[in-house]
Amino acid sequence: MSSHTATSQPTGGIHWRNRFGWLSVRLGLGILCFLWLLPTVGLFIASIRTEEATKTTGWWKALTPLSEFVPVRSHTDAEQLDDGRYVIRGSLAEDEGVQGSELGETFGIRSNLAETFTVGETIDLGEYISSRAGLTLTINEDYTYEISSNEPIELSRGQNIFIEVTTPPSFTTEHYRKIIVADADSDFGIGRAFLNTFTVTVPATIIPISIAAFAAYAFSWMNFPFRNFLFIVVVALLVVPLQMALIPISRIYNTVGLKDTYPGIWLAHTGFGLPLAIYLLRNYIGGLPREIMESANIDGATHFQIFVRLVLPLSVPALASFAIFQFLWVWNDLLVARVFLGILPENQVLTAQMRSLLGTRYEFLHLLPAAAFISIFVPLIVFFSLQRFFVRGLLAGSVKGG
Amino acid sequence: MLDLIIWLLEGILSPFVSVLEVIFDPLVVAMADSPALQAVFAILFGVGALVLYFWGTNAFIDWILGDQVSWIIQNRRKRERVRERIRPWFFVGPSLILLFIFLVFPALNTLDLSFRNETSTEFVDIGNYSWALQDPGFHESIRNNILWLLFVPFVSTTFGLVIAVLADRVRWESLAKSLIFMPMAISFVGASIIWQFIYDFNDTGEQIGLLNGILTALGGDPQGWLIIEPWNNFFLMIILVWIQTGFAMVLLSAALKGVPEETLEAARIDGAGEVAIFFRIMIPQIISTITVVMTTITITVLKIFDIVYATTGGQFGTDVLANLMDTKIFRETDFGRGSAIAVTLMLATIPFMVWNIIRFRREEKFR
Amino acid sequence: MKKLHLFVILSLLTLAFSAMTVSAQDDPLGILGDDRFAWDSLAPFEGLDLGGEDVLFFGPWETEDLEYLNNVLAYLNAVVTNGSVTYVGSGSFEQEIVIQCEGGNPPHLAAFPQPGLAADMAKRGCLSSLDDETRAYINESYAGGEGWNAFATYPDPEGENQLYGIWYNVNLKSLVWYVPDNFDENGYEIPTSWDELIALSDQIVADGGTPWCIGIGSGAATGWPATDWVEDIMLRTQPLSVYQDWTTNAIPFNDERIISALDTFAIIAKNEEYVNGGTAGILTTEFQDSPQGLFSIPPECYMHRQASFIGGFFPEDVEIGVDADFFYFPAIDPTFGNAVLGGGTVITISNDTPGARAVLDFLMTPIAHELWMVQAGFLSPHKGINLDIYSSDVLRRQAEILLGADTFGFDGSDLMPGAIGAGAFWTGMVDFIGGASSQEVADTIQNAWDAIKGE
Repeated sequence: MSSHTATSQPTGGIHWRNRFGWLSVRLGLGILCFLWLLPTVGLFIASIRTEEATKTTGWWKALTPLSEFVPVRSHTDAEQLDDGRYVIRGSLAEDEGVQGSELGETFGIRSNLAETFTVGETIDLGEYISSRAGLTLTINEDYTYEISSNEPIELSRGQNIFIEVTTPPSFTTEHYRKIIVADADSDFGIGRAFLNTFTVTVPATIIPISIAAFAAYAFSWMNFPFRNFLFIVVVALLVVPLQMALIPISRIYNTVGLKDTYPGIWLAHTGFGLPLAIYLLRNYIGGLPREIMESANIDGATHFQIFVRLVLPLSVPALASFAIFQFLWVWNDLLVARVFLGILPENQVLTAQMRSLLGTRYEFLHLLPAAAFISIFVPLIVFFSLQRFFVRGLLAGSVKGG
Repeated sequence: MLDLIIWLLEGILSPFVSVLEVIFDPLVVAMADSPALQAVFAILFGVGALVLYFWGTNAFIDWILGDQVSWIIQNRRKRERVRERIRPWFFVGPSLILLFIFLVFPALNTLDLSFRNETSTEFVDIGNYSWALQDPGFHESIRNNILWLLFVPFVSTTFGLVIAVLADRVRWESLAKSLIFMPMAISFVGASIIWQFIYDFNDTGEQIGLLNGILTALGGDPQGWLIIEPWNNFFLMIILVWIQTGFAMVLLSAALKGVPEETLEAARIDGAGEVAIFFRIMIPQIISTITVVMTTITITVLKIFDIVYATTGGQFGTDVLANLMDTKIFRETDFGRGSAIAVTLMLATIPFMVWNIIRFRREEKFR
Repeated sequence: MKKLHLFVILSLLTLAFSAMTVSAQDDPLGILGDDRFAWDSLAPFEGLDLGGEDVLFFGPWETEDLEYLNNVLAYLNAVVTNGSVTYVGSGSFEQEIVIQCEGGNPPHLAAFPQPGLAADMAKRGCLSSLDDETRAYINESYAGGEGWNAFATYPDPEGENQLYGIWYNVNLKSLVWYVPDNFDENGYEIPTSWDELIALSDQIVADGGTPWCIGIGSGAATGWPATDWVEDIMLRTQPLSVYQDWTTNAIPFNDERIISALDTFAIIAKNEEYVNGGTAGILTTEFQDSPQGLFSIPPECYMHRQASFIGGFFPEDVEIGVDADFFYFPAIDPTFGNAVLGGGTVITISNDTPGARAVLDFLMTPIAHELWMVQAGFLSPHKGINLDIYSSDVLRRQAEILLGADTFGFDGSDLMPGAIGAGAFWTGMVDFIGGASSQEVADTIQNAWDAIKGE
């Protein structure tokens, strides 16, 4: 559209200005998108790095090799040589902790690295560590080590050798695997939780939209007493804190037998979502051109017919927007589901399942980034598929004063 | 009062639930082995009941007050008038009933609790409100809430609008919008974890928070972003802006698509610049949606507690009313004071509602 | 004839197979018949009729802990008839139990990680009180039984004191964690007195290191790790009676004895050279991440004071007892002997049925404690248990500290009313480390206490 406008401009000056506008639109949007995406990238990287890497280096350094000192604990069993000396032999390169890393030249013998040595040196350990008197340590060029002494060697834990290593960037799918595989053999694993979440989410999205659409139409185009007053009360109800509603509603559910049932939770989500739904839809439906309604009225259509045949199709963008929000809200909800679906394992939704993987005191918090990405997947699909309803021109040709 | 309402609802709802149980229990038992089948059935049932209600009630009043059953009201005109007077209530009825049960009734209940002691066993008059008036934590929360209200709705809406307008002009609109929208899809708890990777503070050694990473790379000293009062409040607000901009963008983008192309085209031919078109044509056309977005985000801000709860827990001078309420009710089980804070929150919306009423009056006049 | 033969073999096989699966379900730990366990304490539940109840037991334990507890309960389920018990956990137990109780939908049993919340629930009439028989049994069979009973005795809705729960799965807080290699390499000795502890800290600073890692971040509960420090110091500088009066506010929070404890804590916490990251580090580090510095190279710190459960947050490859170990947080004033600070989980009945009572009775038996002990980190004050069953030496040593204490103090902030112990005290500690003086902080907390007593 804009390119068409640009080419139709006769003079070069304006052409340049449009070119500049063309560029700044893209640049501005690009920068905003980058800023918005940046935190999520951090989360994504955390979801594919090891817990230790995430806790020790910045996520933006995930692609640079990591240089660090790692401890290798020596063996403790000494053998006596022919010359009477006692030695402990081993190889740094064979230690599990350095697998996959490149060994460097430098090493230390105390964790504070107050002094460092070069591979090939022989060190009198007693000089630095009082409890190691009489021991010498040699690290050979091939990273084999030798601890020797003239006396029998008594090491309860082995000598730590801190060798410099360079670890290439590495990523892992371990977190994802753990979440998906957790309880996979039980009846109440992630599969069941997905199913439960769908069973909650789909009706809890459709029901409030339908109910609210009828109400929004009535608030916009039908005449009845207290119409504006009732509508403003509906909007004001947006502010009622969810926490205040849970206990009284639980009591009602207990008495009428809706507790721990799907209809119970659909109704709860519907009730909590209705104010926003009615508010958004009333704004949109109320903004539809009066001419359309009047011409339909003249044709003798009833309100029900106008609503179903005319208003609903025209309101698709608004319906889609609310559907996205309500879907997200229900999908990410933990509290309402726990309260109204109950705490039994077979009733758990995805969020509850994910939360329970994190441990009593969040010991497994490092699983959360992966969990967040697993649960973000479906809402994004919903967003993408509803995107196509945000289209121009639904009202084309029916505009007043155009 | 609570008991009376429960008693009433029980009388109304119980028969329905019992009938449903009689019908569906055998089905549920029959499908006990297949949760998937149960799920499909449940979804079909839920949606089906809805269609049945709206279509059914409409058909019913058309029939009972229609020309076939003319004996109820003899006069045709009158019959029509009664019919059209009743019909709106069938349209708004389900909404009003659900809103009453799920929101009005809890709000009234909260009002009642706010005049009682912590176990709701005794009336304490306005004791909880006078406590709030002199509590330093309450003052701090009010101050912070005002900061949030000044910052978040305006900034989110502005960003949302700018992005909606820009995205409308590029081919990768869908992708751009998805990126901005993505934070909305991440739960609040997930969001706080994400922002830890931005705000994290480590006095010595490697930084794992991006801000301090940049700062130290430039030679500065790392900062504990979330403990510097009062600026830490803004760092928390940025998290909400990051989330809510997607909300604003989706609604404003849908509204912009409704601005007729002919109008824009006409303005361009008249030689108006893009900036002028934006301010003189687009904004007036979507002003009602902007109001809706601002109002909704304002109320979200009033109710915000997840972000504060999961990051600072309200410490370091960052407490807000909704978090204070949650603390009172669930950690201190003081229902009286918690409810008084909830009532304060509800009262705080009155100015925004007045603004909405004024706008509606004006809009209806010009429609 | 041949057909019959096959049939017999098939049924025998089926029988054998079902016997095998049943035993795996009834004996998930594969220890039936192991005579180290107090199986005789399970005998009274043999054939007990639960009256068709599915007993629901709700608590804060998740993932591994959840599995451990359900394994314990499997042994009860195997012997009772006509009903069973299931444990279900939640990460937001504290919030959900309030909603369930007030919403009239409580589980049969609830395990409270903080007695303060249990006391609140008792006051609201959500919990059922226990009888004198239970009280007598705990008195007799728990080490320090009277104390444990006292921590589970709360006013009922009428204000009468009643016993509401029994203790199951306790933890020990007076521990200082360290890396033995780091101590060895630098010739550091384990301090046995407060003076030695400070001397060691100075030594570490002189050697160019940082002695302590402290982190009090914990989301909504930010500040609690610091309250443990103050409680540990209170127990080491004041008699138990003063400690107890402090938790009930019989002694005001701004009493000089408490202010002095805060100042003692400040000797370590407010010394920027002593703590990794200084006071800003204390405020911004999550408690889960705070022990991390012990294991970095070079070490960011050498000591970390935290409860027994912190081992769960050490890096995966750290073997407790080898790569990391603990010592007893030493006495300050020797007149008060070895004081130990601990916490625990109190099991209460929130929906009173015969089944719930049976499960509670079971959880008081030595076998119920031993079955968790053998699986993982679980400390028990029960005197009837066999210490050999502890799954590791580390746990056994912790149990010995617990059972050998001269004074046992229960986590004070947990005993205080929620508005203080889970509110003003936490906030106060944040302010204190942030720079406020001990007097200011103590005054503020006392004001908050006066405000709740005001009604």
